[in-house]
Amino acid sequence: MAEPTPAAPPLLVADALEKVYGSGDAATHALRGVTFEFAEGEFASIIGQSGSGKSTLLNLLGLLDTPSGGHVRYRGTDTGSLGKPERAALRNSLIGFVFQFHYLLPEFSVFENVAMPALISGALPAEDIRGRAVETLGLLGLEGLEEKNANALSGGQKQRVAIARALMNRPALLLADEPTGNLDTANTDLVYDLFREVSKETGTAFLIVTHDRSVAQRTDRVLEVRDGELVADERNRYLG
Amino acid sequence: MLSLRIAARFLRSSPAQSALIMAGIAVGIATQVFVGSLIVSLQAGLVDQTIGSAPQVTISAAEEGDPVTFTEAIRELIAAEPRVEPGAVAAVRDASALYSDGEDSAPLSLKGGELGGLDAIYDLSGRTVAGTPRLGDGDIVLGVDFAEKYGLVPGDAVPLTFAGNRTARPTLTAVVDLGAAAANERQAFVSAGLPRSLTGWRADEFSAIEIQMRDPFSSAEVAAEWRTAIRSVTVTEWQAANADLLTALQSQSASSYMIQAFVLVAVALGIASTLAISAVQKTRQIGILKAMGLSDARAGRIFLWQALLLGSGGTLGGLALGFALIWSFSFVPLDFAIRPEPGFIALSAAVGIGVALGSSIIPTRSTSRLDPIEVIQSG
Repeated sequence: MAEPTPAAPPLLVADALEKVYGSGDAATHALRGVTFEFAEGEFASIIGQSGSGKSTLLNLLGLLDTPSGGHVRYRGTDTGSLGKPERAALRNSLIGFVFQFHYLLPEFSVFENVAMPALISGALPAEDIRGRAVETLGLLGLEGLEEKNANALSGGQKQRVAIARALMNRPALLLADEPTGNLDTANTDLVYDLFREVSKETGTAFLIVTHDRSVAQRTDRVLEVRDGELVADERNRYLG
Repeated sequence: MLSLRIAARFLRSSPAQSALIMAGIAVGIATQVFVGSLIVSLQAGLVDQTIGSAPQVTISAAEEGDPVTFTEAIRELIAAEPRVEPGAVAAVRDASALYSDGEDSAPLSLKGGELGGLDAIYDLSGRTVAGTPRLGDGDIVLGVDFAEKYGLVPGDAVPLTFAGNRTARPTLTAVVDLGAAAANERQAFVSAGLPRSLTGWRADEFSAIEIQMRDPFSSAEVAAEWRTAIRSVTVTEWQAANADLLTALQSQSASSYMIQAFVLVAVALGIASTLAISAVQKTRQIGILKAMGLSDARAGRIFLWQALLLGSGGTLGGLALGFALIWSFSFVPLDFAIRPEPGFIALSAAVGIGVALGSSIIPTRSTSRLDPIEVIQSG
């Protein structure tokens, strides 16, 4: 993996992130002072038990939620100073999401679902959107399904379409929250192999939230969250 | 236009729900168009039947029974008034006569004047059922009931006896249907010369000067102005004499507005509830679209477009249904024709679409406020 040039700011910086729900005696600290840097093209995971705060962290990093304290910086830009429309635009251009549930739009075809982030951004002409969507579907082994309704696919296919959608705008970072939680072992293996392959081919950084240590072991770096704190940040030993 | 595309797709994905709400709007707008047109036409018909073929302002002498002098000043005053229907001014002399065919006799009320003015006011040509109206000396025009009762046809002599046993035998030139039984049984039109020969009035003296207005409802204003301008005469107008009719018309209008307002409220509630349900049904889709970067404003516009599409579709359907209802009523024998007013139809259409848009405010706001994290966390 190419090292980022020293002058370029890292893709993502989580700086002393805090998230508190409620106030006073009822206040719950979901995250406490989480700090780490994340480089372009990295392939990493966040591991933690249920309720550890890992999904809260993902939501903050994905600009779906705002921290109670601390900063999220993308390529040097502090997202705390951005308004809601700017955050939405940044999400659209820089981040792709894959959730445990596929969240495909049942009213739309596979092609339209995949093309949706590009349609929202409006940056690409219609022909390029078509080409990009077909190429992305091809990358995930979904050729020929373009015109099918999203509801007509199998569970594994739906999740792969959701991954294709997340990759449509060629984001710098793909955030995945338990992306194989609803899949069988065969499909789980397939999805992680795909993640690895896509990361190599497109240079997209992956940050995968999971509670499964065996899944985390497939990534290059494992960030462990416990009780809202980042307790470990390790390079995977098998990579040396 | 992504918001429009998503809105259209959401509507197409629930065809029954979309069709039902459009049908609801269509029925509302059709009711609006039909009831509105019906009431407007009914009122126009009533007014036309009541005073459309009668003088709406009458100038007579200050003392009842005296002749009024049709002075140059009065002539100029009427000629200068733009609200007077052109040509619909008749200086008339009234007289009573007794018809007798040897066996039966019946009273007749004669109105003597020039054919031009009388025709413009009483529409004698339009109401002719036999013959051709002429009002030269020795001519008479009779109501249809009277003519039928005594078997009179155009060309027949009509023997009349006046006070002081004077007689005349004018020739019947036309039979007219004056639209009211009382008038058809008693009213007759003759030349202005015949009553004058009985009264001995001067050439510029008349029983009354009868006038029709372009807009019948301007009569009160015009009469008030003329009363100030010419003090030596009595000016009467139809509205003062028909207060009950006016009250009835106003009550009818008020009830029509009430019906239309409640129909619109029902339509608005229908659209609002359907859109609110749709917004709830599509919460997950909206949430994920927002997670993908759809802005709050564009997400909100999805429901604005849905309202516009439902409103436009429903309104078009409603206009078609309204016209179909109006057309179907042309086969029902009525005393008046229902005529759709283009201005009113356009207003109904605008109101339909406006109500639809107004009804989308709540779902548009809630969609715009929806936080994608609520959807993602709830799975």
